[in-house]
Amino acid sequence: MITFVEVTKRYQDGTVAVDALNLEVPAGQTMVLVGPSGCGKTTTLRMINRLVEPTQGAIFLDGTDIKDRAPAHLRRGIGYVIQQSGLFPHRTVQDNIATVPLLNGWPRKKARDRATELLTLVGLDQDLARRYPHQLSGGQQQRVGVARALAADPPVLLMDEPFSAVDPVVRASLQDQLLSLQAELRKTIVLVTHDIEEAIKVGDLVALYRPHGTLAQVAPPEQLLAAPADDYVAGFVGFDRGIRRLSFVTTDGLVLDASPVLPADATVAKALAAGQPWICVTDAERRPAGWVATVTLAAAPGDTPLGQVKTEPVGHAFTFGTDSLRAALDAAVLSPAGQAVGVDGDGRVLGVATFDQLRAAIQAADTRAVDSRAGDSAEARRR
Amino acid sequence: MMWSWIPSNWSLIWQLTWENAKLGVLPALYGLVISLPLGVIAARWRWFYPPTLTVINILYAVPSLALFIALIPAFGLTDTTVIIALTVFSLCVILPNVVAGLRAVPAAVTQAATAMGYGPLRRLVTVELPLAVPVILAGFRVGVVASISLASVGQLIGVSSLGYLFIDGLQRSFPTEIYVGLVLVIALALACDLIIVAVRRALTPWAAS
Repeated sequence: MITFVEVTKRYQDGTVAVDALNLEVPAGQTMVLVGPSGCGKTTTLRMINRLVEPTQGAIFLDGTDIKDRAPAHLRRGIGYVIQQSGLFPHRTVQDNIATVPLLNGWPRKKARDRATELLTLVGLDQDLARRYPHQLSGGQQQRVGVARALAADPPVLLMDEPFSAVDPVVRASLQDQLLSLQAELRKTIVLVTHDIEEAIKVGDLVALYRPHGTLAQVAPPEQLLAAPADDYVAGFVGFDRGIRRLSFVTTDGLVLDASPVLPADATVAKALAAGQPWICVTDAERRPAGWVATVTLAAAPGDTPLGQVKTEPVGHAFTFGTDSLRAALDAAVLSPAGQAVGVDGDGRVLGVATFDQLRAAIQAADTRAVDSRAGDSAEARRR
Repeated sequence: MMWSWIPSNWSLIWQLTWENAKLGVLPALYGLVISLPLGVIAARWRWFYPPTLTVINILYAVPSLALFIALIPAFGLTDTTVIIALTVFSLCVILPNVVAGLRAVPAAVTQAATAMGYGPLRRLVTVELPLAVPVILAGFRVGVVASISLASVGQLIGVSSLGYLFIDGLQRSFPTEIYVGLVLVIALALACDLIIVAVRRALTPWAAS
């Protein structure tokens, strides 16, 4: 756990980078520091490994004041990843990764074996071990940077805009990699970014800064989207936060309607009898085959099977219980019928959800969020 | 051109070439050794560099012969006089490269090294200086070549080098000797240059071609 107590950093020219910061990063969680440039988020990060010394206040790492630790030793227990990778150009990939183990006095063989292990962990080929950094792509360099930071298995990982310098596709895959690594390793991670999307994607907690080094809100991402503390936070997270926060709500609460769903061998007459404006036709495996509007069926003979009627494509379905409400809403928006098709894990149709049903599920989720917030603040008052 | 002069004076030519090589390489090496600590200081404490550079430029402007003569009272008509003077000139071309090389180490790299727990000295020796090697050796090349060519001037105060062939050839109106001296000075400089390039390639396998 990392704790900031009334930490201020004032530079010699009088600029206040961080102003009386109180912040707690729980062990094993990812805390994302996000805010406009010059808000003090990077200064905050660099104070943790003493690249920057605070003017006032104290920082505790697992209860120990970091001022009481020799900087070089403190730093060997804290992994550090930066934007431009900062790899040593004159060392091979494996020697770069082995840096901290070697500093800690490991034998070379053991350090290199560890480096090989880490290459695999960050999803890189073993063949890269003997290459030099300039022979790698930007994304590969960044992965090596992460491997190097993890080499001595430090409990804390600091990441300063680690994915900003790569293209969006590579960035997304690096973020996914970080999430899966973190699921396995449970490090205490502090990550700085200016990208609120990245913060929401990778953070367990997000600390949103105002300009000039004060915090606007510290909250889990779903709460930041659902209940921004003020207009500044609402503005920073963006106008579509209402839809984005649905990524954090599952579809379990959604009520699915099976009545507009009919198999391909059902007749047109049966479809008309269902009394629905649209019918979702399924194939022999009960997978969605297409939508058909009942008004177009009136001209067809009543005994025609639905399988022979022209249908419109489903777009995409959502997996009930696993996918988020955002996926379900998207499925409804893209569907010609304006309804989302819910399927089970095997892709078989369970039923459909209309906009009304989606809205009901969203409102139910909001009520739960408000309740839990009330619970949180009641708990906070008790402390 | 009297080709037969060459084989009959083979041992003299060899000896002069060898002495010229010594007078070229040793000052450059001494210059490198002195430049490294000075360069490290100049790269770390920025105020140190501008006055140092001024002194160096003034020294570099002094004609080589004048510097030899100025050193004679202390060191006499010896190799030492020439070596000291040429060391000063080498220093003048190598030191700026040491400073430039150290300053060109990417900030991200030094910051990463510090953040991983390198102390300042260890970082200097194992990260910054190795990364500055290509730029430092570029200065060293110029230092060696300049010293090899300036060493002939030492002949004027009686210190033996390929310069002997120029003076002797001139006095005896014997151009063959002058041509041989000229070709050998250039060949020697070229050979030393190629050796340094080979050494640099071996030291920096990581540099992008």
